Amino acid sequence: MTPFRELDPLLHSQLRLAIMSVLISVDSAGFSYLREKTEATAGNLSVQIGKLKDAGYISVSKSFGESYPQTMCSITDLGRKKFAEYVTALGDYLKI
Amino acid sequence: MENEEKMMTGEESLSVITEMIYKTRVSITQSSFHLLFWGWLIFACSLSEFLIWKLTNWTNAWYVWLFVIPGVFVSLIYGFVKGKRERVFTYGTSIHVFTWLSFLVSSVIFFIVFPMESESVSKYMLLIAAMPLFISGVVLRFRPLMWGAGAFWVLALMAHFGGETVSGLAMPVAMVVGYLIPGYLLRKRGSHDTFQGA
Repeated sequence: MTPFRELDPLLHSQLRLAIMSVLISVDSAGFSYLREKTEATAGNLSVQIGKLKDAGYISVSKSFGESYPQTMCSITDLGRKKFAEYVTALGDYLKI
Repeated sequence: MENEEKMMTGEESLSVITEMIYKTRVSITQSSFHLLFWGWLIFACSLSEFLIWKLTNWTNAWYVWLFVIPGVFVSLIYGFVKGKRERVFTYGTSIHVFTWLSFLVSSVIFFIVFPMESESVSKYMLLIAAMPLFISGVVLRFRPLMWGAGAFWVLALMAHFGGETVSGLAMPVAMVVGYLIPGYLLRKRGSHDTFQGA
């Protein structure tokens, strides 16, 4: 029997997993886009983005577009690897 | 999604991943602008050149193609402004944009290096233009663009073997079949639907 792999606690949280699931599908996404898709509050989203950034799972860049600052997020190679591991572990857990 | 530390069951995790990937959809309406803008511009230029050539004695009918130069700037500025407002970039968007930019570079080099061979321009341009059109069709998963590219290839052959009149009409016909019809279909679809990951 294959030993059960522990799910990454950083990803095993609803909002952070949602952020990573959006970013895995795109090249980069803005803060407002992430907010719209996850339906999270700005403060909450900002905190979770910070945690993912500190762990090196995502990178965050700021630019100045049309007179307002724009925050763009994209997944890093480490984040992609961790997400793949999470999905594999989830598959083992759910036996799919 | 307020409780950021809420622990989920495996099923809930899978549900979050599925839902978010499904929601990550991108509008395709910008693509239809470029198709319609260039479709009408090239259609007007090529048909005007053909009619001037057929109906008048003016030998510089190719002057109508000078309207393409401001067209390039309009298209680039539109794309740049829209790009600045864009809140998400997918891999498909990048492929789409850079494929058409490479087509622009090829076209500019073609016209600068081979300006004297204007009698055979349409068949070569159709061959060059068919490639980004086909790739866009694949990226956007939109078959009318792929059929349009197929029409470009067929019309390029017809322009080569069909004589001057067929060659002169190949470009305006190609614009209707390859740009305008898919462009309007894309705009219609883009107004109420989106493509995932494109």
